[in-house]
Amino acid sequence: MDSAQADILAAREHLRDQGWIARRSEAFHHLPPPALPDWLALHDDAPPLDGPGWTLGQGASGVQARWLDALDPAQRAELLAGLPRPGEGEAAPFAWAHRALCREGLRLHVAATPQRGPVCLQLHHRPRTRAEAPLLVLDIAPGAHCVLIETHEADATRPAVAQNLHAHIRLGQGARLQHLRIATPRADDRVAHHLHVELAAGADYAQALAATGSSYHLQRSHITLQGAGASARQAALLLLGGGQIDQQTYTDLQAAQCISQVETLALAQGRAHAVANARTRIAPGSDGANVRQRLTGVPLAGHPRLILRPHLEILHDDVQAAHGATWGALPEGALFYARQRGLDEAAARALIIEGMANALLERCLGPGDGLLAQWLHSGWLARAIAQQLHPREEARHG
Amino acid sequence: MTHTPPPLLQVRDLRVRIGERTVLQSVCLDVPAGALVVLMGANGSGKSTLGMALAGHSSYQVGGGQALLGGQDLLVLPAHERARAGLFVSFQSPPDVPGVKNNLFIRTALNAVHEARGQPPLDAFDFLAGAKQTAKELGLPEALLGRPVNEGFSGGERKRNELLQLALLQPRLALLDEIDSGMDVDGVRAVVALVQRLRAQGTAFIVVSHYLTMIEQLQPDAVLRLDQGRIAETGDMELARRIARTGFVRQPQAAEV
Repeated sequence: MDSAQADILAAREHLRDQGWIARRSEAFHHLPPPALPDWLALHDDAPPLDGPGWTLGQGASGVQARWLDALDPAQRAELLAGLPRPGEGEAAPFAWAHRALCREGLRLHVAATPQRGPVCLQLHHRPRTRAEAPLLVLDIAPGAHCVLIETHEADATRPAVAQNLHAHIRLGQGARLQHLRIATPRADDRVAHHLHVELAAGADYAQALAATGSSYHLQRSHITLQGAGASARQAALLLLGGGQIDQQTYTDLQAAQCISQVETLALAQGRAHAVANARTRIAPGSDGANVRQRLTGVPLAGHPRLILRPHLEILHDDVQAAHGATWGALPEGALFYARQRGLDEAAARALIIEGMANALLERCLGPGDGLLAQWLHSGWLARAIAQQLHPREEARHG
Repeated sequence: MTHTPPPLLQVRDLRVRIGERTVLQSVCLDVPAGALVVLMGANGSGKSTLGMALAGHSSYQVGGGQALLGGQDLLVLPAHERARAGLFVSFQSPPDVPGVKNNLFIRTALNAVHEARGQPPLDAFDFLAGAKQTAKELGLPEALLGRPVNEGFSGGERKRNELLQLALLQPRLALLDEIDSGMDVDGVRAVVALVQRLRAQGTAFIVVSHYLTMIEQLQPDAVLRLDQGRIAETGDMELARRIARTGFVRQPQAAEV
């Protein structure tokens, strides 16, 4: 048995001994994930990989990319180098399952190119098997500035998948990453994305997520601000015409003068079920920490379930912290204003929903230019809103 | 034999309540095409209610009466169809529309109206060229076209943005609700110039205002005083001057147009 096989076997044994996520788990009890067998393919019978997996858009200078085979001992060692072993936390079974199933990964290193402006990357992942555990490792060098658009989009030509994806992102001192993530699985996909982000001193991370529902969809980020003056902004736009999504954001402030902002906008209708968890921990010694959490749920039609769970754990005195959760309707004043100018009910709702979504993403990423602006104005949001939310005509007479 | 066309707007015995409170008791008025009527009245007399009720706001419940625009019964139409039929109501406090760029909002509205009129839609470039020119004429900074609708706008900028929409939409009837409040002198001049231009093209106006200076410049065809949900007096500029001098003195008997 080689080292790769031994690692896989050890992960399987750990899962066998420790079991899967407990139904009473604090983080997962609102939307318990499917059972462990869904996330594990039998390795001996694993079909050959099909399709592209991770694909990187046009090459950018300052970027090193390595596609690595996790079943090859040497490549597996390179792929997992420097990554923490799965721990014992609530989500650890996902990490162990990932170790047990991971067959490939992409390692990216972005160097600082101050004279050339930000490094712009477009990264797309397409599933390669029915149960898979892709891995992404992204290192942003000290002082580097990267713009990353990462997409996972539904594809009617492939069968439903169970995807347990892990990404490890590390920002060096003073590095900056603007990260737009699109996750729109098929309705019958089971998807769990885990992001582990570490920020050194002065690093700046902005993650904007746009996600839609599926039979199971987990988006979990764990962001650790390790160095003084690090800042993290996270915005999640959850569009649910049906299905469910569990968005979990864990932020850990471990140094002085760190900033964290978490904002979620969940728009749902029908029988959709969304859970938004924001947990921020301010560790002892985090002088001047500044933390904001704002979770908003807007039921649009039908009887969706929207569960918003802001949570702060403050273990230091000299901090500013605020959090809130709001359930509400679309702004009636703006809706009527649009209708008075000639837009029918459906068009007015779509325009206002798109505006709220755009505002959320721009607050996180900044109005920006280049790749991000191009994407934000590409019409993707309008199409996603039309596909997911199908605003209904409700004529009103004065 | 000469034929007199019916007024563009005909309102008969319009009754409107907000919740349990009846605000408009019985309003009757006629506004011919291209005419300008000034509506005055004390706070709470129902001026804004008339605008919102005609516009089709669901909080303003019509308890009876009739409102015809070009012979079309407005009260049976949803709000957007009233707008497409040619009714423009400028808001006293235009709301923010977060995240929706002003130029996108106006172009979408304009194309909805164009579609209803059987006109081709404007593409972004053609629209923007016209919108920039009109914004310049109205003293609205061009940069505000690229910002979310009314977000962070001053009071005067919001009103100028209403004027921009009015100028581009070119309605058949516009009800301007205190369009001059928050406006500087140049803003008031812009209102007058735009109103005169649109009147010459046949747009009719109901202008709600408390300020004689602008009313004088608008040269109204009629001045109406609204009191306790009814048209209490009808007159000309002299009525506006008297109100400016003496205030809203209640008259013992109500009158109709």
